[in-house]
Amino acid sequence: MDAAIAALIAGARHLGLNYAFLADAYDRGAFVHGAWVTLELVLCTLAGSLAAGVALAAALTSRHALVAGATRAFVEVTRNTPTLVQLYCAFLVLNMLITHALQDAQRSNPLTPFLWVVVVLSLHKGVFHAEALRAGIEAVPKVTLEAAASLGFDRRTLLWRVQLPLALRFALPALVNNSVELVKATAVASAIAVGDITYASIMIWTQRDNVLELMVLLLLFFGVLTWVVSRAGNWLELRLRMPGYGNR
Amino acid sequence: MAPGLCVQLVDRTGCRALAGARHDDTHNNQKHTMTRTFSPRSPRSPALAAALLAGTFLAGAAHADATLDKIRQRGKIVVGVMLSGSAFGSIDPATQKPVGFNADLAQDLAKQLNVELETVQVQPSNRVQFLQQGKVDVLIASMEYTPERGEQLGYVPTPYYRVGGAVIVPKQSDIKRWEDLKGKTVCISQGSSYTRPVQVEYGAIPKGFKGSSESLLALRGDNCAGAVHDNTLLQPLVRGNPEWQNYRIVLPELNPAPTVIWTRKGEQDTIQAVERVVQGWHRSGWLIGTEKKNGILPPSPSLTELHDKFKGGRG
Repeated sequence: MDAAIAALIAGARHLGLNYAFLADAYDRGAFVHGAWVTLELVLCTLAGSLAAGVALAAALTSRHALVAGATRAFVEVTRNTPTLVQLYCAFLVLNMLITHALQDAQRSNPLTPFLWVVVVLSLHKGVFHAEALRAGIEAVPKVTLEAAASLGFDRRTLLWRVQLPLALRFALPALVNNSVELVKATAVASAIAVGDITYASIMIWTQRDNVLELMVLLLLFFGVLTWVVSRAGNWLELRLRMPGYGNR
Repeated sequence: MAPGLCVQLVDRTGCRALAGARHDDTHNNQKHTMTRTFSPRSPRSPALAAALLAGTFLAGAAHADATLDKIRQRGKIVVGVMLSGSAFGSIDPATQKPVGFNADLAQDLAKQLNVELETVQVQPSNRVQFLQQGKVDVLIASMEYTPERGEQLGYVPTPYYRVGGAVIVPKQSDIKRWEDLKGKTVCISQGSSYTRPVQVEYGAIPKGFKGSSESLLALRGDNCAGAVHDNTLLQPLVRGNPEWQNYRIVLPELNPAPTVIWTRKGEQDTIQAVERVVQGWHRSGWLIGTEKKNGILPPSPSLTELHDKFKGGRG
C-alpha cells in the first residue's frame, strides 16, 4: 500500500504535480474521511430534498389558499437567496440563538453543523424539486383524470394511482437535474467546517499550497459522483418509461 | 487573466464558498473567480477536462517577467491586503476605501516607489493564489514567514511586524493554558498558520472557517471551546468591545513569527526595492507611529527592536 502510494507520488512528480500529502497519514486520512463525509452528505440531502420536495409540492397544489400561499412565499424566498447565505444565516445566527436559549435553560445544543447543512440543502433543493413536481402534476392531462374518475376512482386512489405516477414521470428529468446540482452544492459545507472533501482539500492546500493537485482530485471526485447520479437518473427514466411518451 | 480555479468544480454557490466571496461586492477582482460557472449534466468529455487543466497550467506559467519592470512600466503597484475588520485592515464604511495598518503600509510603499497604488482585498484562503496568478504584485496581508511558504514564494527579508497566536475563550472556560486545549475543538481561519501547531503540539481539533469573522461567530455560537487567531486581532475585542466582555485571552503567544511582505518566487529586483523601503520604515520609526495611529494595542516590542537595529545603520 505504502509502496504503491510512493510510486504514485513519484510518478506525479514527473508531471510536475506535488501529491506528497498522500504520504502523510494524517492528511491522507483527512482527505479520505472528507470523501466519506461528502458521500454521507449527498445521500442524506438527496433523501431529505426529495421528502421536502414532495411535501412542498403537495402544499403548493393544496386547495387551502392559506397553505398554498404560505408555501409559495417560502418557495420564492428560498430559491431567490444563495445557499451559502442561507447556511450562514442558519448556522451562524439561528444556531447561535438556539444555543443561547438552551444555555439559559442549562441544556446543550444537540444540532451539529452536519445537520444544518443537510437541513438547509434539503430545503433549498426541495424547493426546486417541488416546482418540478408541481409542473409534473399540472401536466397530467385533464381528460386522463376525468377518464379515471369515470371509472369510479375516488379522490385518494386517483391521486396515488393515476396523478402522482404520471407526474413523477413528467418531472423526472428535472428532478435528476436538480439532484446533480445538489451533489455539487454539498461543497458549501466546507464554509462551516463540516469536514467534507472540499473542506479537507482547503485545509490541506492552505498548509501545503498544492491547490492545483487537490483541484484535480476534487474535479475527478465530483465528476464521478455526478456521473453516477445522472446515470442512475437515466436508468430510472428508462425503467419508468411509458409506451407512447418520448422516443426511446 | 488566469481562470478562476473553481471552474467546473461546483455550482455558483459552491464556487463562492471557495473563492471567499464574503466581500465580493466590494472588489471586482473576486468576480473573476465566480463568473465562470459550468455545470454539465453528465461530464463525460475527457477532452474538455484536459482543456480545463491545460488552461490552469498555462495560467501558472504565464508570468516570467520581472514584476518591478511591470510596476514601473504601468506606473502602478497592485498590493494584496487583508481587510478582515481589525486595526490592521478594514474598509472605511464612509468612503469604501481600505484603511488600517496594512493599507497604510501599501500606501507608503507605492509613494516611495513613486507609483500609484491599487489595492486588492485578499483572504487567508486565497492570498497565495492571487499572488501566484499575478493578480497582485506583492502581498501585505498579515502573512507570517514559515519555511514552507519561503520555499513556495519570495519574501522581503526584513519583517514589518511580528505576531503570534492566542486563544480566545469564554470567561468561565477551564482553559487556562495552551495544554488545556487537548481534545477540544478550536475555531480557526482556513489557511491559518496556527492550524498545524494547535493540532500537532497541543492535540486540539481545528475547525477551519472561511475567515476570522465566521470563526469568531462560530465561537459565540458555542461550536468550539475557543478560537485561535492572531493576538493582534483578539486583543482589541476583549479590550474595547462590549460584546466580548465575557471572553478572555489565553497567552503566551503561539509561534510568534515575523510578518513579511511576499512576492512571487525569484523576483529579486522587486524584493530589493521593497526591502529598501521596509528598512527605511524601521530606521525612521515610521512603523511605530503608524501602529500608534491605527490604535494597535499593546504596541509590539518587535517594532522597537527593529527600530533600534536599523537606526544606527546605513542611511
